[in-house]
Amino acid sequence: MTEPDKQEPETAQLVRSYVITNGRNLPGEDQFSLITLVTASADHQQRPARLSPEEQKLLEMCVGGYLSVAEIAGHTQLPLGVVKILLAALSEGGYLITRPPVERAPLATMEILEEVLNGLRTKFG
Amino acid sequence: MGQYIQNPALWVLLAVILVAVAVVVRQRRAARKLQREIAGLRNHYGELEASYSESVHKAQQQAEGETRSALKSAMRTLQGLAAEQQRIISGLQTKYGDSVILQDLLEIDHMNAQFGRRAQSIAVLCEGWLGRHRDVASVYDVVRSAQGRIRHFQRVQILSKVDFGITSRAVEPVALALSELLDNATSYSSPDTVVEINVRTVPKGVCIVVDDAGVGMNEEEKARAEKLLTSERVTGVSGLGNPPQFGFAVIGVLCERFGFTVSVDSTSPYGGVRAVVLLPDELITSMPEPKEPQEEREPAPAVAPESPMPETGPEPSTLPVSMTADGLPRRRRKRPMTLVSTDQSSSPAPKRSSQETAALMAAFKQGTDAGRATHPDTTERQSGARDASSEGHEVS
Repeated sequence: MTEPDKQEPETAQLVRSYVITNGRNLPGEDQFSLITLVTASADHQQRPARLSPEEQKLLEMCVGGYLSVAEIAGHTQLPLGVVKILLAALSEGGYLITRPPVERAPLATMEILEEVLNGLRTKFG
Repeated sequence: MGQYIQNPALWVLLAVILVAVAVVVRQRRAARKLQREIAGLRNHYGELEASYSESVHKAQQQAEGETRSALKSAMRTLQGLAAEQQRIISGLQTKYGDSVILQDLLEIDHMNAQFGRRAQSIAVLCEGWLGRHRDVASVYDVVRSAQGRIRHFQRVQILSKVDFGITSRAVEPVALALSELLDNATSYSSPDTVVEINVRTVPKGVCIVVDDAGVGMNEEEKARAEKLLTSERVTGVSGLGNPPQFGFAVIGVLCERFGFTVSVDSTSPYGGVRAVVLLPDELITSMPEPKEPQEEREPAPAVAPESPMPETGPEPSTLPVSMTADGLPRRRRKRPMTLVSTDQSSSPAPKRSSQETAALMAAFKQGTDAGRATHPDTTERQSGARDASSEGHEVS
């Protein structure tokens, strides 16, 4: 370092995202959405030491109860996809339980509504 | 005696002697002169030789210096570009975190890191700039940073951790030296083997042990590596061989400049090479504080005095989200969604007394009822509605 260091306003992360994910691929689109709920599985209270700090942090975060993927990503300040990869790895290892979002209720068809209306009318009208 | 004097032979002899003496004297003088000349010539020759080798050496140094400075400035530019690109990729990763593009961005990031490392290595050999200033980082993170700079980083496994950090000055050199070791370890072992990293504390500091299951090194290679790592430093890019082998040369220069040691003499239990990086106590510090909790700890005291209130108060959602001791969000029951509350938040609510509001609502209700002009029993419902609305107002 013969020349004086120039302080840049932003310094890039020391540990890059692909090292954190260990080069794993993104999980399938259907496996994790923004509102998939995640919690730590009860039978893994003592955590193995082999997990990376990021994975341990995710587990700690999820111990308290169900958290959504979007919330977790917000707290870890990691890119969303990276969080998804880590969560997928953790749930594969059995450390996490995921709950897919509740499916949107299908819209009632007009016929049923009309029938109900007719029934009510014949009964009370 | 007289008869001798008269003998012409004597005179002839005398003359011959005289001539001989004169000749000898002259020859002697000439020889001395010649000798002096030879000595002068010899001196001159020596001087010439010295100045010749001196000028050759000087020219060599100058050429090396020029190469070095040219490479240094070129690498500086490349390093700057790589660093800038890394920042841009980081931004893109956050921006497109939810997209499939992320996969490609991670790969580009990986390539960029390798490219940056090579530029850095050459810069180190040319006594150039090592890179931007880094904060204190844990040994584990420095090892992972090094891991990210090589091609087959997935084959590297970190088996143990220590709770120590590396001083900010040494973060980058240690990461670079370790990445050169890991590069060697992964390139000289078969693709399906694993390179293991163990971090241990020893009385003199912290050891990072890199074991590979590769082909190992023969005596000649070992001798060369040892020479580069301990005594003979390389300056510039000459003498790296063909194809150039940067690894140990770079590590040697870094060791000398930053005061850590690397040895590769022992053999790995897996049959390959065991390399040991010994970081002395001067480069070791306590574990760095994680960044995010520091940011989150700031608002916590501000919330703390208020926190007993929301437990009893009806309006928790207007308060900032507080954190538990672990930095987790404290969950609160959600406020019921009502249309009334949003209306009230826009109106200057505290100015009106509940009686005024009740009167207003009554007037509104009366107007509605008058407009509808239906059954006569609406008056009862009207009073009920008034109570409900005034109550709702008081609550908020």
